[in-house]
Amino acid sequence: MSSPARSAPRSAVQHSSARAAAIPEGTRDVLPPEWAQREHLRARLVEVFGAWGYRGVELPALEYASANHPQDARAFKLIDSGGQVLALRSEFTTAMGRLVQSRFPAGPFPLRLQYGGRLWLRALTSELGRLREFYQVGVELIGVATPQADAELLHLAAAALRAVGVSAQLEVGYPGFVDAVLEDAGLHGEARDALHDAIDRKSGADVDLLARRGGLSAEVTRTLHALTDLYGGPDVLDTAQALAQGERARDAVAHLRTVAGLYSGPLLFDLGVSRRYGYYTGITFRAYADGLNQPVLGGGRYALEGGLPGAGFAVGLERLTGVLAPTLPPEPEVVLALDLAGAALARAAGLTAELAWTDDRAELHAFCMARGIKRMVQGETFTAVDGAEA
Amino acid sequence: MTPAPTRTPDHLTLALPKGRILEEALVLLARAGLPLTMPEKSRALRHEFPGITLLELRNQDVPVYVDLGVADVGIVGKDVLIESGRAVYEPVDLRFAACRLSLIREIGASGTIGRVGTKYPRAARAYLNAQGIPAEIVKLSGNIELAALTGLADAVVDLVQTGGTLRANNLEEVDVLFESSARLVVNRAALKLRRERLRPLIERLRELVAADQLV
Repeated sequence: MSSPARSAPRSAVQHSSARAAAIPEGTRDVLPPEWAQREHLRARLVEVFGAWGYRGVELPALEYASANHPQDARAFKLIDSGGQVLALRSEFTTAMGRLVQSRFPAGPFPLRLQYGGRLWLRALTSELGRLREFYQVGVELIGVATPQADAELLHLAAAALRAVGVSAQLEVGYPGFVDAVLEDAGLHGEARDALHDAIDRKSGADVDLLARRGGLSAEVTRTLHALTDLYGGPDVLDTAQALAQGERARDAVAHLRTVAGLYSGPLLFDLGVSRRYGYYTGITFRAYADGLNQPVLGGGRYALEGGLPGAGFAVGLERLTGVLAPTLPPEPEVVLALDLAGAALARAAGLTAELAWTDDRAELHAFCMARGIKRMVQGETFTAVDGAEA
Repeated sequence: MTPAPTRTPDHLTLALPKGRILEEALVLLARAGLPLTMPEKSRALRHEFPGITLLELRNQDVPVYVDLGVADVGIVGKDVLIESGRAVYEPVDLRFAACRLSLIREIGASGTIGRVGTKYPRAARAYLNAQGIPAEIVKLSGNIELAALTGLADAVVDLVQTGGTLRANNLEEVDVLFESSARLVVNRAALKLRRERLRPLIERLRELVAADQLV
């Protein structure tokens, strides 16, 4: 029944093929039924994005490496035949900026695009329990920077997650707010960078340490501490307003109020978020799913290469599939068709039909048992597989 | 291992390192109002309390469990936290388990530092780079001071509590990389999703720590 290769001693097989069976750290094979679950979710998200006017584009996985790329230090590099250094795509936003600049220089704006595909990061993120090859789908709303545009992305993020059955909480941040408050406190250069980092980690102890080192006043230190506690419901905006001295900080709070008003649904805020504050030019946002300690969606507003305003978000399909797998409808029953007529009948009834490849009934029966197939079909007649649980 | 019971939405999973920090942490958290007691000596690694699951871990693993969200909250030394490079929130300095990470040499050693032994390669690398010292780093697992005494390394980067071990071994602190103490660490999503439970806990811990400092 089994082939000679399959009946070889297990240890010998493992020894000789250990290398061939290995895959690089941080990559993974996607098997059934996960593949189908992931495709189902991808299709649902793509459909929602499409209905909101976001047209799909496909981007090359190979790019010219550039020191200006935000993920340059973490991207996989290859040498092209002409000697140029290429990088495997490590994020979509930069690639979308390049595409818009060369393919849609005159818009029309706002330009709504969606993308999907794999990304690769060389850095040892597998050490962090994260993948080095992963799949994202996402959208970009390009050419406009109004509060309405920000609110549209929040609405779309919520709609997309609703469509796949995630009850999510959206949280909005504004890294430029922290920067503005630090600027108003007279902080510059390295001291400012270090405080950004401490505030983003909500580390009161590090804020104190840096404040002592920099000789900051008690009042400024209190303000910095307040930034580390600036998260929660809409009342956060009132606290932020009281902290905002200069125009930039006040404008940020006013912008957030307008966006929150346009969104109208419940929002969380965290005005202590200051990761990549030099990259984000406006809001940032994330979606948290109940009971899951990792965000399922993230995005924000930035300036594309060439200066066009852009904003968007991305969804990591691995994590989303992991969260939603238990809630997805089961795949249709698989039956073994002994002839084409039977297969057509089964498929017309919404079942999946695999074709028999031999007349050897014993072999077919053994396959059904191994594959978990409970019924065979021939012509118009279904028969239960002997010994299979009904 | 005790089976995981069904949990309420505001259930907390707490990651604490085995050993000395565990005891002090439990006392402090109990004073802050969490229904925790010292688990009886047993081989159990997971302990259930009303509304709280306690995980007993190696201290290097606490930031991993919290960053990846398996635990919502943890307590761990700043030294371990820095070495982990994990992006977790660290809202409270609990002030106990105080020590410092220092560059240590044999008394009187003055040659160039070509090789450094340490349990903290990441922190040591960051320090040496900042100082412009192009030294090789050797990752070691224990009794780090021996590396400096035996000539395995020209200097070591290691924790100093009282300095007793250094004095007994003819070693001295040349520089302090940073001061460490126990920190409350919180998963980034958990702080937002369970803020009704975590925010009061953070406030209470800050009050307790501040009050203890005045005594």
